Amino acid sequence: MPSRAFHDEPDLWEGPPEISPYPDRRAGKRLLARDVKTLSKEAENQKIPGYRDLFVIITDKGSAILNPESLEPTHAILDGEFTVDLKGGNSVEAQTVFTELKKSLKDYSLERVASVTDVPARQIERIAVEAATTAPLHIIFGASNYQWYHGDLKGRALALLVVLTGNIGKSGAGISTYAGQYKIRFNLKEWWSPKGGKLNWVPYLYFLNGKGSRYPKNGIKAMVGGWGNPFDQHNMANRLKNMALSGELEFILTTDIQMTTSCQWSDVVLPASTWYEKYDITATPAHPYLQLQQPAIKPMFESRSELWMVRELAKRIDPDFEKHFYPELDENDAALRVIETVLATGGPESEGITLEMLKKGPVRLHSTAPGDRQIPFYEQIHKRVPFPPVSYPAALDATAKFVKSGRIEFYKDEDLFLELGEQLPVHKETFLETEYKLDPDAKEKYRLRFVTRNSLYRVHSTHSNNVWLNELQGDMPKVFLNGDDARERGIGHGDYVEIYNGRGKTKSYAVIDPGARKGTLVFEQGWWARYLNNESYNSLTMPWIKPTHEVYFVPGIWSPNTCWNECLVDVRRAEL
Amino acid sequence: MRRGWVIDLEKCIGCRSCMVACKQHNGQPPGTWWNRVFTPGSRENQVAPEKGKEYFLPVTCQHCANPPCVKVCPVDATYSTEDGTVLIDFERCIGCRYCISACPYGVRQFNWEEPKKTLYKAGYVENYTYGYPKDFRKDGRLVYMPVRFKGITEKCHFCVHYYEEGLEPACVRGCPGGARFTGDLDDPESVVSKLIRDRDGFNLLPEKGTKPSCYYLPPRRKENLSYDF
Repeated sequence: MPSRAFHDEPDLWEGPPEISPYPDRRAGKRLLARDVKTLSKEAENQKIPGYRDLFVIITDKGSAILNPESLEPTHAILDGEFTVDLKGGNSVEAQTVFTELKKSLKDYSLERVASVTDVPARQIERIAVEAATTAPLHIIFGASNYQWYHGDLKGRALALLVVLTGNIGKSGAGISTYAGQYKIRFNLKEWWSPKGGKLNWVPYLYFLNGKGSRYPKNGIKAMVGGWGNPFDQHNMANRLKNMALSGELEFILTTDIQMTTSCQWSDVVLPASTWYEKYDITATPAHPYLQLQQPAIKPMFESRSELWMVRELAKRIDPDFEKHFYPELDENDAALRVIETVLATGGPESEGITLEMLKKGPVRLHSTAPGDRQIPFYEQIHKRVPFPPVSYPAALDATAKFVKSGRIEFYKDEDLFLELGEQLPVHKETFLETEYKLDPDAKEKYRLRFVTRNSLYRVHSTHSNNVWLNELQGDMPKVFLNGDDARERGIGHGDYVEIYNGRGKTKSYAVIDPGARKGTLVFEQGWWARYLNNESYNSLTMPWIKPTHEVYFVPGIWSPNTCWNECLVDVRRAEL
Repeated sequence: MRRGWVIDLEKCIGCRSCMVACKQHNGQPPGTWWNRVFTPGSRENQVAPEKGKEYFLPVTCQHCANPPCVKVCPVDATYSTEDGTVLIDFERCIGCRYCISACPYGVRQFNWEEPKKTLYKAGYVENYTYGYPKDFRKDGRLVYMPVRFKGITEKCHFCVHYYEEGLEPACVRGCPGGARFTGDLDDPESVVSKLIRDRDGFNLLPEKGTKPSCYYLPPRRKENLSYDF
């Protein structure tokens, strides 16, 4: 939709009550109902949802494509500029999003993109040709791509590639993130108590900042956590420690399988058994199978399953609460009962899957695609179900509000996007709105990009204290850098170095890596601060919040983002 | 019957699972690794070699048919079994470390202190141990014990304790890429013999004349790729 034009004509947003709640569709239908004199009857009657509003802006100049059977040449539908006559005698200039996109892309010549990205023009061209001609094309993008201040623009640009090349809704095609997009998250409503109770989810950064939307007016006094290590790994760990020391946070309880820094900062630690010591059901982002995790050994030392812990806590809070946790059963049998309940009521993905089936081996989850194939956006493309698909664990209505048209939105027609000039994906310079804004001298003082990648020897920070895995790394945190950057600073392979900026510092051993890009310093994330002389690598990073990140808010998935990679540092030799 | 194995460098992804499986099953204390994976041409894992192609090279005891370690052992603690497996009798080893010097593959490890002390110093709970929990004797000789004596040498024993139970070595079972194979080198129809024959299997340091029972299949991965970015 030519949303800019509509945006400039607020009177067009008013519509009859029966119209779609989505703004651009509403505006389109408004035109359909009243303003477009030359609209073909065929357009009004066509029955293809999702394409309806495309027809609205087409005048008799485009009448040939109003026949749904002529939908194949999509460029004819998507592409064009139009003068739409309004009833009052005025007219409005309109163009399709695709047309506007094409115009905006004129600013991105191959030479310019090569210059901005340092990727050879020939390579960019080759990728473009392969993307356009290879089918199916599937883009998988992870945290290295989006954990930047403008990470959302990167994601939107990548989405364009698969959509414009027709690579969605087909087997093997599509776009996926590898960041917790599990194939299933169970619907726990049947096991939820009290019935009808609601959570108030607050973004973690708001909790640390002590303000923000949904932040409770009386503050947050207790922290009950587990399976994470925020007192060590978060780049506002110092803030958290201060909250604990000052008494602002009155009570901290942590459950974990290992004695993390967060456990050490807790008032109460509940030692959890590992996945080899209890029953659980597991799914991953990487495959569509559901698996039963079964205990191979009894829980070690004092550890117990989380179910047991919560049951005991519930009993102590109110004896009446215990009944929700199968008190008549031991913790293993109780876990199996819970698993049976969530399998039976978990949703369409697990329909028909029983505990007995899982005991025999992994069972494939169901999907709406033929043969239970995992095809992103299958329903949206083939069954005309409005975008977005469900993005677990959030409920669909929580994420659907981000895509108000129910379609793929190349064009974001919201005030903030208009204000930032980000209606369409655009290139924005890294660090300009962050590091350079905070410290105009940063460009000269800290000349290296600090990128934190996953380690081969940990799962993020889990197993950071594993003796064997640390031995495999020579018991040495390492920083990988380009030979030119090292030579310029008098650093040799194996030297002990300090990485620093205006916020913090950390030390590690230098590895000269011919694969490291000049100007980039790569550090393996996850090292606990105790292995870095209590100088966490995250003392260097900064939890920037881009305003558009706050438009998207679903806890744990789409929320104010910690832009780990948006960080400048420099490095120098250090004394051991 | 000559027991041998084949490691397919085409399939090895350098994950180090074989190292960890070996260490766990055989109770190696902190600092001791019977099995190691090298990155030839690069000083660091995950860093591409400056020249040549990247590949991974797992190295453990080669169970040589002409083992220099056996020849130099003054007390007959290190010996070859009938099937060619090279073992160490922990009760006979006097800790002279001649075998460590003699081995051209650098796979032998030495217990410089009580393993339990090493574990405790590394942060384990006092008296905690891990690994196959029972002593194992082969022909009456103590060739595996979960907690070794201070002052003895140790190395891969080809999971002789599991072999007796009809199980594959821990590294073979732990390899997610299925890159390791075992079998009878004297049987021309065994999997290992066929792989060595069909895939140009080779030994490490053949010029040393040690005649290893461990063969490698050369990596072909990446050779046919024609990226010319």
